Amino acid sequence: MSTKVQVTRPTKIELARLKRRLKLATRIQKIVKDRLSILIMEFLDTVKDCSSVKERLLAEFKEAYRALSVTTGYHGYAFLEKELLASQMALTIGTATRNVAGVKIPVFETEDTQTPGSSIRKTPDTSSLIDNSTTLAQKCLKTTVELAELQNSLELLGTEINKVKRINNALEYIVMPGLEATIKYLTMKFEERDREETARLKYVKLLIEQREAYAY
Amino acid sequence: MLIDPGPDGVFESCLTGDMKTLNAHLPRRRKTLSELQEEERPHVECADGSTHSFRKKELEYLAQMVDNEDKEALLLPIIIEVGHGEGRLTVRSKTGIEAVIFSRILEMPIACRSDMITIFKPQLQVLRRVLKTTTQYVFTT
Repeated sequence: MSTKVQVTRPTKIELARLKRRLKLATRIQKIVKDRLSILIMEFLDTVKDCSSVKERLLAEFKEAYRALSVTTGYHGYAFLEKELLASQMALTIGTATRNVAGVKIPVFETEDTQTPGSSIRKTPDTSSLIDNSTTLAQKCLKTTVELAELQNSLELLGTEINKVKRINNALEYIVMPGLEATIKYLTMKFEERDREETARLKYVKLLIEQREAYAY
Repeated sequence: MLIDPGPDGVFESCLTGDMKTLNAHLPRRRKTLSELQEEERPHVECADGSTHSFRKKELEYLAQMVDNEDKEALLLPIIIEVGHGEGRLTVRSKTGIEAVIFSRILEMPIACRSDMITIFKPQLQVLRRVLKTTTQYVFTT
């Protein structure tokens, strides 16, 4: 990629200003790189957590469906449907945010308002099988909330990583090379000016010497 | 090709603006562990006006590790400074309780020298896995 020389006034003040800008850009790039590495580390950790929670959720669902199937077999579909329609369960999820390197990530916490299985009304016809399936279903629900938090974190972290990468690339491939090229261009221009000045002075000196020689 | 760099200061203000937002999540005032444990929804207010919440489980975990006296002294969130060198991070600690907590989590001795605890990236990964909401990053140069 060709770098653009960004200068309109070839002056020493401009050169000093550009050098200051380059210094600032270098410092900021270092911070941006640090942030990027932290965000990537967090992202990878979240990916690991996410996959383990997903596996756990699948296992829990498997267990819950097996229990439900056993319960349905024991009580019959019509009875189970009637019992489940009559039962209620309040689910309270506390939401908040936490901050990871400038990214606001949601925190979901399920609050234990009731004991597992307590949502099912107890009648002489109900059995522990129903309680067991309810407990397992509640467990699945909690894990689903946990997974939702992790998936959301992944999305937010991924978006932020993209943004930070763009800033880093802009600094690394556009801003800094441009500034370096301009500094080089100005330095060369000033050196050229110095050389011209020296040559001019020498020529003037020669002219004066020649004039003085002719005067005698 | 010559292009106009635009008015002086635009570049600096853009980048410094970015830097300001980068550390805007830092808490205005850190709270002690005992203070947070008393709260129903433990949180701290950040510099940008948002809130940073703590998980109760993490607070309980920390409370198990320290005694009652240290609960009054341990300020949360623990701030991890990033940018002191390649793969090195520091935590400022006046009391040294953080060093005790870190050494228990990492199962290795962590020293606190002149109010500074130095940790490395692989250790940070382990710490962050355990203390997700009770630690925060600050970016420095």
